[in-house]
Amino acid sequence: MLAPLASRHFRRNSDRSAELRLEKISKRFGGLKVFQDVSFTLPPGDVLGIIGPNGAGKTTLINIICGNLAPTTGRILLQDVDITGKSIHMLSRRGLVRTFQQTNAFARATVRDSVARAFRFSGNSANGTDVTSLLRRFDLLDRLDEPTGMLPYGQQKMLGLLLAYATRPKVLLLDEPAAGLEARERSRIDDFVHHARRAFGCAILIVEHDMDLIRRLCPRILVLDGGRVLAEGAPQDVLSRQDVIEAYLGGSDETATVPC
Amino acid sequence: MDSLLAAVIIGVSLGGQYALLALGFTLIFGILGVVNFAHGGLYVLGGYVAQAAVSKLAIPYPVAVLAAALATGAVGYAFERFVLERRIDDHLATLMLTLGLYLMLSTGILVTFGAESVQFAFPVTGAIRGNGYYIPLENLIVLATCLLAIGAVYLLLFRTDFGRASRALADHRAVATAQGMRPHQLFPLAFALASGLAGLTGALVTPILSLAPHVGDPVLATSFLVVILGGLGSIGGATVAAFLVGLIEAFSGVYLGGSKGALALFIIVLVMLVVRPSGLLGRETRGA
Repeated sequence: MLAPLASRHFRRNSDRSAELRLEKISKRFGGLKVFQDVSFTLPPGDVLGIIGPNGAGKTTLINIICGNLAPTTGRILLQDVDITGKSIHMLSRRGLVRTFQQTNAFARATVRDSVARAFRFSGNSANGTDVTSLLRRFDLLDRLDEPTGMLPYGQQKMLGLLLAYATRPKVLLLDEPAAGLEARERSRIDDFVHHARRAFGCAILIVEHDMDLIRRLCPRILVLDGGRVLAEGAPQDVLSRQDVIEAYLGGSDETATVPC
Repeated sequence: MDSLLAAVIIGVSLGGQYALLALGFTLIFGILGVVNFAHGGLYVLGGYVAQAAVSKLAIPYPVAVLAAALATGAVGYAFERFVLERRIDDHLATLMLTLGLYLMLSTGILVTFGAESVQFAFPVTGAIRGNGYYIPLENLIVLATCLLAIGAVYLLLFRTDFGRASRALADHRAVATAQGMRPHQLFPLAFALASGLAGLTGALVTPILSLAPHVGDPVLATSFLVVILGGLGSIGGATVAAFLVGLIEAFSGVYLGGSKGALALFIIVLVMLVVRPSGLLGRETRGA
């Protein structure tokens, strides 16, 4: 039944892990400085969480990494190759793939056609990329021939993740994957991240407000605030820092903690 | 009974022409997100290219029709690639640019060929006559060519990678590009296809109707009407709506006549849109 969902393309590059490095990335919109000198390294197979208050520039950062926006200054390197300013479709074919805060599935296509598109056009897709188990976990296996626009929101969102997975990314950028999901649906994000890492060992960057999710999935986090990197390190260390708590809550209430 | 048959024949014939025009119009809207005000101008250009090829170069009419489709396709490709592409995400700018193309085309044609209608006769005459019906051969040939072209467009859109990628971009451009689809390679080709369809229709239909610089205006209006009725950006909707509009126009023309017929068409379409605002096959999706 799932034969059409198996990719017919051979993978271009057998190495599915890659290092993503940002060097002193700055972005201005006219006179507005979004961030300044943001640098970090995402090693192959690692998971990095990026947190910060609303307006900290988290989504703008993803837009810059994936090629939707060009940085004002700085360099982005994928496996030591400078990819700064390359277009989103070119980077996608090199294995740097993003998802979106809102649902990112093709509303008019069926689930089956959507997956087939991801296989066919990514250029990174590989023989034997098996999406069946993810389809089953996301309860999509029985809905292959339904238009994705008619699926419940949570399933549309999970299908968006699955489509990114079907391209066999080297580096996956997840923009608020849990936003809009019910609490019981959020464990599927965990399933997805573990599955993607097991399958290709890809590096994953997660921008998210759900601190429980960040704690569970990210051995390392980075806090963006006011256009700079406020803190970086293990979640238990970073989230207990007073300056991080203040950045989130906008005050120095001694009893405050980062929202969970 | 005779007038019923006549109305059906006229309606289907008109429907084929409208479908070819509306497919191009809805493709550009669906894939590029652009309302192409130059669509009627490209129709007229196709008519003049075919007419010039036949009258000045003595090229056989079928070859002239093909040349018209290719020439308008090339104009569309160059316009998208070198002009529209630079401002493709600015909806107001694309409106102005396509309007500008229309003005340039119509003025260029006016200056080159003059304001008067030019002689451009369909090379095949005669009709099939029977008991109570009369079908001009030229209408049958145009209808058959339109149906062939519509079939070819469907094959292109649903059976080739170009079509699959174009439909994916029409569905969700951000997701499609994030998955590796290349809009800047596909957009000029899509615009060329749509322009070529407008030119093809112009080359086929103007010998039956008339060929003058202004004949593109009602073509643009009809394309708008069909595409909105079918559901903006819907390929199937545009095809169904084209034949529906053709039949309504023919029936209201035959039974009501003249201006009453035209009025009836717009009233019927208005009622349909009140009942189904997203168009006949326009899809509503489930949000958050």
